[in-house]
Amino acid sequence: MTYLKFGIAVLLFGAAPFFLASFHISLLTEILILAIFALSLNILVGYTGLVSLGHAAFFGAGAYAAGLIGQHVSAEIITTLLGGVLVSFMLALVVGIFCMKVNGFYFLMLTLAFSQMIYSFIYQSTTWTGGSNGLTGIPTPSLLGLELSNIVWVFYVTAILFLLLYAGISIFVKSPFGRVLVGIKENETRLKSMGYNTKIYRYVAFVISGTLGGLSGVLFTYFNGFIAPTNVYWTMSGTVLIMVLIGGAGTMIGPVLGAALIVILETVIATYTDMWMLLLGVIFIFFVIFLPEGIYGVWQRSTRKWLKGKIPQPELKKVDREKVS
Amino acid sequence: MDNIETIIAQFINGLSYGMLLFVITCGLALVFGILGVLNLAHGSLYMMGAYVAYSITVSFGFSFWVALIIAPLTVAVLALIIERTLLHTTYKLGHLSQVLLTFGLAYILHDLAKLVWGANVLSISVPSLFSGSVSILGQTFPLYRLIVIGVGLVLAIGLWWIQNKTRWGAIIRAGLSDSEMIGALGVNIRFVFTVVFVLGGFLAGFGGVIAAPILGLYPDMEFQTLILALVVLVIGGLGSITGTFTAAIIVGVLETFGRYLVPEISMFIIFALMAVILIWRPHGLLGKQVTEG
Amino acid sequence: MRKFVIGVFSFATILIILSGCTNSAMQDTEGTTANGEEVTEGSSGEVNSESSEDSIKIGALHPFSGVYATLGNDLSDGMKLYLDSVDWTAGGKTIELIEEDSEADPQNSLRRLRKLMDQDNIDILTGVVSTAVAYAIRDELDANQLPFLTSHAGGDDLTRSERSDYIWRSSFSSWQVGNAMGEWAYENIGDKMFIAAADYAFGREVSASFKDAYTEAGGEIIGEVYPPLENNDYASYLTTIADADADGVYAFFAGSDAVRFVQQFHEYGLHENFELLGSGWLVSEDLRESIGEAAEGVYAASFWDYNLENEENIAFREAYEEAYDRRPTIEALEGYDATRILVETIEELNGDVSDPDKVIEVMSQVTFDSPRGPFSFDTDTHHVIQNMYILETIMDGERTENSMIETIENVQDPGE
Repeated sequence: MTYLKFGIAVLLFGAAPFFLASFHISLLTEILILAIFALSLNILVGYTGLVSLGHAAFFGAGAYAAGLIGQHVSAEIITTLLGGVLVSFMLALVVGIFCMKVNGFYFLMLTLAFSQMIYSFIYQSTTWTGGSNGLTGIPTPSLLGLELSNIVWVFYVTAILFLLLYAGISIFVKSPFGRVLVGIKENETRLKSMGYNTKIYRYVAFVISGTLGGLSGVLFTYFNGFIAPTNVYWTMSGTVLIMVLIGGAGTMIGPVLGAALIVILETVIATYTDMWMLLLGVIFIFFVIFLPEGIYGVWQRSTRKWLKGKIPQPELKKVDREKVS
Repeated sequence: MDNIETIIAQFINGLSYGMLLFVITCGLALVFGILGVLNLAHGSLYMMGAYVAYSITVSFGFSFWVALIIAPLTVAVLALIIERTLLHTTYKLGHLSQVLLTFGLAYILHDLAKLVWGANVLSISVPSLFSGSVSILGQTFPLYRLIVIGVGLVLAIGLWWIQNKTRWGAIIRAGLSDSEMIGALGVNIRFVFTVVFVLGGFLAGFGGVIAAPILGLYPDMEFQTLILALVVLVIGGLGSITGTFTAAIIVGVLETFGRYLVPEISMFIIFALMAVILIWRPHGLLGKQVTEG
Repeated sequence: MRKFVIGVFSFATILIILSGCTNSAMQDTEGTTANGEEVTEGSSGEVNSESSEDSIKIGALHPFSGVYATLGNDLSDGMKLYLDSVDWTAGGKTIELIEEDSEADPQNSLRRLRKLMDQDNIDILTGVVSTAVAYAIRDELDANQLPFLTSHAGGDDLTRSERSDYIWRSSFSSWQVGNAMGEWAYENIGDKMFIAAADYAFGREVSASFKDAYTEAGGEIIGEVYPPLENNDYASYLTTIADADADGVYAFFAGSDAVRFVQQFHEYGLHENFELLGSGWLVSEDLRESIGEAAEGVYAASFWDYNLENEENIAFREAYEEAYDRRPTIEALEGYDATRILVETIEELNGDVSDPDKVIEVMSQVTFDSPRGPFSFDTDTHHVIQNMYILETIMDGERTENSMIETIENVQDPGE
């Protein structure tokens, strides 16, 4: 069953560029990149119960590292990807040591403090990062010498990494290790008394989360060809947190849906109104108060109802066929 | 350049900036300390105070003093509405939901303010009584800055007195450590929460009016204020007016000297201080341990 | 299982519906030539066949939200004022203006640009306030050969190292703004100057250009401070400046920073010992009311001012005030001029904008008398050659006004 879903996803992503216009492909690419970013944060927020308001720091670290390596060393994807991921990995290693000492609000504030320090460092290092103007002139990424000059190639690279990471994270959170993380979220004291060193578990979750956040940042530079300090600012951390929570924290597909909703809404709505923040605020509050389980929770509940209900289902035959296979 | 007069002048600058930070932050600290609600809409309430004061003084032509009373009251009413319609529904959902709710509110108020007052840079002039300058050791200081120091002091003493010397303060302190116990004593804790949130809104609005002649009114002002207030709050620690007061002055003086000595990294220093405090003393300089949600 | 199938089914349906709209990304890719340059040949061919029939689509990226929202609105109003004056037609075609909110955010702007190119099939792009946005969209424009007339963003490199055949600029460069004041300050203010500028690329570039011109003229910079952008309290910096032995302070601040700096400069009594100089944004039309009397005596360099007394400017401000019931700002003028350039280009081409190379060729030759004075392009750098004016802010009854005290003619960016 899982393999079938996976196979269909591969097919759909593979086929998408043959059906969709460039604009939609670039939108889809952006959604996938931000979905990876949201998935990485979800390991912390959804599975370990640590709410971070500084996740953009890792996104930025990965993105700037990839951009700089691309400019000064080589634009080869293998180099920039490894470099960017390594930098965010090391950053997560260091920041994690400190962040593991605190919980709850203090964790939120400490991640915010670290990300703002990294933001002001990037902002001030004008000669390297371009300061407020951002890092531009990042060469087109190339894979084994082949230039990925077209959005379709960037899309494929992103889609492949997305599918791999999605599968990887799914396996990870269902593994014994992942179950311990969920245990920490639900009742850390209990796990401690059972003899688990919860700090180590949280630390590993933090490092994985940060590293993957960096990976999405690297993809972002491939996609856009630039990186600006606004992508490291705390508002970016806030946006990705909104994606996770609207979509459904602690589920796999939730953050992906959240990322898709935010990107699509912003693209569609902002054409008609500049009251975008108002709308986002209303949607967000609506989810926090009335639908705390997120889009995925609502989807699950309503489809369950819908399928049980008396509404005629046009594609019933299809469903049956699927069942047989 | 590094003469003693300059150092003293910078110290006065830092003190007045710190007091301004205290006036801005005390409402946030009060609400966080007692309700456990990290009110991310605090900056927005501050902004509303400033904008309402702008309307009162510039659009309707009343004096600054009228604005100083009416604007915080208006914001207090807004806080009351928010508490009664939205916030009270989240008490059962846990602290995270409350934080997120206020975050959403901040977004909504941002656009509402833009709708009503536009995106122009606005300013309120200093009340004519305090518009002059004073010379101290050969350095000129605007009189209003020195008045702000006084306002901060009075506010700090007032809040300290309420918290430590009155029945209300006793209830609040008890609510901070054990809200169930208070309920058992026959005090309606929900009512206490409402009152505290409205008082927090009033103080936010008051901060907005006091700060407006110095900091001005412009789009995104609330987020900038919020971040600064959060820094002060964290450094000071929870539920302690004395802690917030101390932290505000430390941040004010440190940032002023940071700008003077190492201007390029002054913002970095403030966040580094915040990080160090969080790691070294997670509950702030003078804060108490509070149960987390 | 069932819900999953429904999900797949609806996704597939969306795919099919969307694919009906335009060329697929793959079809676009097939248009790629050997050297990989003409990425969207397929779709641009389609654009042209459409546009030659009915209308010409001008895309505009303006910040309608965020800190630059008022600038975006003024640019937009300026554009519409000019389009109204030509009845929204040029070269026999109707002009369609499609505006998108850049939010002054590079990532959002790039997304909006892709929408404008791919969904709206725009022929020409204009607008952009933030230099970071201009740099961010630069490669995408260049690769797609979309003519872009920058109507505000002033970062030097856009017409220097980041230059593109398809990018032109009708507004200003940081260099022009800073340089204009240098020699004048040495001759009229004194030989010792202090620099205070907001710490972002624009502030750094303008003050560096001022510094070069000022020291070349013989002056000496005796100190510099760079407060962060959106700094709320300048007390500390002002105390530093107060100790300096300078004749004046050259300040680059804009928006809320400018209001606070000029006000606090006055409150701390610095106006008694120092002259305050800066760019036009320090005392711009929309800020002076907020700054109040503290603006009196400030010297500023700008390429336009409300009080310039030339025929075109008088007509422009009358028309603008009639249409919007408020004074035009420099951004309104920028939008107005940019639109005029585009309209004249389209007229010259008789409405055929299918060839981007012809569009930029014709655009480069546009000259006219603008409200800001004589306007022409430097065809090497793609950047405007224009007069710069030294202004002094004076009291006019209750309010402050800028008055022009000197003209520096035909200031041309060196382009490197």
